[in-house]
Amino acid sequence: MRELREVFFVDGVRTPFGKAGPKGQYWRTRADDLAVKAVRELLRRNPEIPPERIGDVVFAATAQVGDQGLTLGRDVALLAGIPETVPGFAVDRMCAGALTAVTAAAGEIAFGAVDVALAGGVEHMGHHPMGDDVDFNPRFVSERLIDESAASMGQTAENLHDRFPEITKERADAFAVASQQKAGAAWENGVMQETVVPLAVFSDAGWKVADRDEFLRPETTMEALAALKPAFRAGGRVTAGNSAGLTDGATAAFLVSEATAGVLGLAPKLRLVGYAYAGVEPHLMGYGPVPATRRVLEQAQITLDEVDLFELNEPFAVQVLTWCDELGIDAGDPRLNPYGGAIACGHPLAATGVRLIAQLAYGLRERKGRYGLTALCIGMGMGCAILWENVG
Amino acid sequence: MSDTFFALNRVASRVGPIALVTVDNGEDYRKPTTLGRSAFESAVGLIEELESGDWAAMVLTGKPFVFCVGADIDEFTRVRSAEDALEGTRAGHELFGRIRALPFPTVAAINGACLGGGLELALHCDARTIATTVRHFGFPEVFLSIIPAWGGTQLAPLIAGPEAAIKLIVSNPLRQNKLLSAPEALELGLADRLLEPVEFVDESLAFAVELAESGGIERGAPDWSEIETLLRKARSRVDDAVHGATRAPYVALELIAGAQEWTIEEGYRAEEAAMGELLASPQAQASAYAFTVVERRTKKGAGIADVKPRRIAKVGIVGAGLMATQLATLFLRRLEVPVVLRDLDQPRVDEALATIREEVGKKKPFLATIVSGGTGWEQFEGCDLVLEAVFEELGVKQEVFAEVRNVAPDAILATNTSSLSVEAMGADLGLHFFNPVAVLPLVEVVRTSRTTDEQLVTAFDVVGKLKKRGVLVTDAPAFVVNRVLTRMTTVLMDALENGNTVEETDEAILSLGLPMAPSVLLQMVGPRVANHVLESLHDAYPDRFPLSATLANYADGGDEIVVRGDARRTVAEIREDALEAIADEARHLLDEGVAETAADVDACLILGAGYPFFLGGITKHLDQTGVSERVLGRTLAEYGKIPV
Repeated sequence: MRELREVFFVDGVRTPFGKAGPKGQYWRTRADDLAVKAVRELLRRNPEIPPERIGDVVFAATAQVGDQGLTLGRDVALLAGIPETVPGFAVDRMCAGALTAVTAAAGEIAFGAVDVALAGGVEHMGHHPMGDDVDFNPRFVSERLIDESAASMGQTAENLHDRFPEITKERADAFAVASQQKAGAAWENGVMQETVVPLAVFSDAGWKVADRDEFLRPETTMEALAALKPAFRAGGRVTAGNSAGLTDGATAAFLVSEATAGVLGLAPKLRLVGYAYAGVEPHLMGYGPVPATRRVLEQAQITLDEVDLFELNEPFAVQVLTWCDELGIDAGDPRLNPYGGAIACGHPLAATGVRLIAQLAYGLRERKGRYGLTALCIGMGMGCAILWENVG
Repeated sequence: MSDTFFALNRVASRVGPIALVTVDNGEDYRKPTTLGRSAFESAVGLIEELESGDWAAMVLTGKPFVFCVGADIDEFTRVRSAEDALEGTRAGHELFGRIRALPFPTVAAINGACLGGGLELALHCDARTIATTVRHFGFPEVFLSIIPAWGGTQLAPLIAGPEAAIKLIVSNPLRQNKLLSAPEALELGLADRLLEPVEFVDESLAFAVELAESGGIERGAPDWSEIETLLRKARSRVDDAVHGATRAPYVALELIAGAQEWTIEEGYRAEEAAMGELLASPQAQASAYAFTVVERRTKKGAGIADVKPRRIAKVGIVGAGLMATQLATLFLRRLEVPVVLRDLDQPRVDEALATIREEVGKKKPFLATIVSGGTGWEQFEGCDLVLEAVFEELGVKQEVFAEVRNVAPDAILATNTSSLSVEAMGADLGLHFFNPVAVLPLVEVVRTSRTTDEQLVTAFDVVGKLKKRGVLVTDAPAFVVNRVLTRMTTVLMDALENGNTVEETDEAILSLGLPMAPSVLLQMVGPRVANHVLESLHDAYPDRFPLSATLANYADGGDEIVVRGDARRTVAEIREDALEAIADEARHLLDEGVAETAADVDACLILGAGYPFFLGGITKHLDQTGVSERVLGRTLAEYGKIPV
């Protein structure tokens, strides 16, 4: 029997996140160039890792066309100046792209195929609006394989409100206000300085430096949110205020084997304990993290009480609240998204995962906690949960 | 051309706010940013914001791929007086001087093409970063018979020393306008940091922060100890290149030398005075005209129908001599398609193949495997284009084209003849290259009465892919370049045969500022070829092209001048006679429609014979000096059908 090799998370970094569209800060910046910036910053912050030691570069994007095409892992590696001897590939699991890049890379390390892996994700939703160029198979609808609303993420969030009527718009708005406030504080207290790299970007008004998340609104109030109109259906509860906007951004992270961490003298932050993906009804895709979380805890034989920090994606407040209610966690639990979430910073689909992990590492270190969980929901009805142990 | 604007953005840093300024025109890299009136208007607001703000540093950069390419050349053709020139020059000094006086560190982040006024803008900053990919960095002004007068002649020596300044401002422009690459600019001391392009603006911002913390960049005083020697050597090189025919390089040297003694303000005034003299000068105006002719008219391919070119997948070259070898090498290297050669005997073909394979195989070995040759005609089967470069005899060429037409009935048949009738020999069109092929960019694309639009468009497409410049001419003996040069030669031969010396005839032409003495050119072309061209032209136009016993002698290997009479002329008289003859020949070229416009005559002479910009090819000079008026009663520009 061969032994499993432990996988460590060394470091993760992201670009500031921008608003998708012509008014966003990255409208004239290529998606792959965003990814390159994140990768180069990661290399710069980790000079102990010689780029030629990287065994594979795994990059995620949901729309793998245009400036996100050409097998991103390879494309980005070459553009970032990583030696041509280092291979790369691209993955897609929509919102869980970066987490899938991380678990795929972890698999390579655990198996002994590589010692160091670079994993990340990018999504330029301005250049690649969701669903653009997607050709849904008509059988999905004609054979009622899925509910039609599964194709619209906002509709699936409304579906969650319908399924769990105790999650009201007021609860969702309150969660959103808290997210904005926590994120505002996070920009003051160091976590963002540690995990975000500013970059110069060209715009119609010349070169600028993108150094903030464009969705950040710490001054958001319940009153302001109450006034917003539902975004997806008449009488709906999901608004622009209690969901994540369409976002551009990129992330990148280093993973290494335990032995390599020793050889290179690295100070890894997290040990990968376990991960799980789960499938649910596509029109309730936001429910996905619930079974995924249960499954990974069961694998690791760890209870929810033993987990010191939760970094959950926040595409919709209702999605996080569903997870809270189902698992018995209070929405105000200080272990949950202490630095805010996607409602405040945005959610560039396939890039988000590494943001969660990087913030989790920071948070566990700050709290001297042991176990932490990153989780998110995935379009077409899936969920992902990864359990980490603080080794920093 | 879109208006240039300066965009200012505020960037937070650990040393305080940094002013990040972009010079942009809202277009992509194909329309580089220039500094014209609109730029200066936009700069007024910018400089006020810079002077009044709480800035810790400034970084000035360009839109992607372009820093700034300097003054708008279209604006200076509108300059009519010394006052206009003075005003434009002062505007630059006023603005750039205020940038230089800013009380915080300023960095020019040179991300792309940085020419002329753009470089002067950069030199007014305290320091410069440059992206490793920059290949267009320099002062083309002297090439255009003006000077970098927005402080360039003063700051270049102060920053990088007089030797570098002379190279940058005077020597390089006279070497076919050679520009510097980023490493060269760094080496000369004109840039301070060489940065990779991938995070260029980020790293330039970091450099500005560094400067703000360290209090600025340390720069040693320029070394003036060798200035007299440097100036003497430089003047001698300038004499060799322009023979005193344009003032700009000499004035530039004086200004560079002046920087040793002058304050910057005194230097600015000296530049203004010099620009007042130069900008409205005939040489500068001719240069602006030549720039337009070469960069706009010939690049657009004037006179070409809008049809799709044929794809060229196999090329045949008839002949294996020097010209054929050069042509085969060029086609192989640029088109990367199979090339076949044919000559009368196999050893000659083999020798040519060996030369070609050696030449092309160095970088791309596969090219050496797709060139072949032999003595048979059947190898031209399947060719899309067959170009002939054999002995200049009509009968031989007729035979060649008959044979080729037989095995490759669909191919475009082209000739590289320098003086024979394209139509009479049975070719579809002419592609007249100039020797040495690797150096001279011109190809005279010769249309006959039978040339189809598709053939012509394909010819221009091929010429473009060969990275040559095509000018459309019609089928007439010797086309444009050789006809003009030969007409001039008849004047020179006449002078020699009437008692003048070769030194005098050379001096007559060199004093115009031409790069090469006619006697040297004659040796390069070969007297045999030159005499053959003269004979062809004599057959067509006996009155204007009398045969020369002296040239015939040269062609036979002799060096004797056959003196016919004693009518010795002064050098100035020879020059005037030559110019009048050229004006007259240009008229005939236009009358016959060989060249469509005077501008096409000039394009041919600039690109095919190295005629200088400051003569505007030649017709601009003839018009400016009244020669055209004397000979034709009006200017050649008016004579041509389409004004440039």
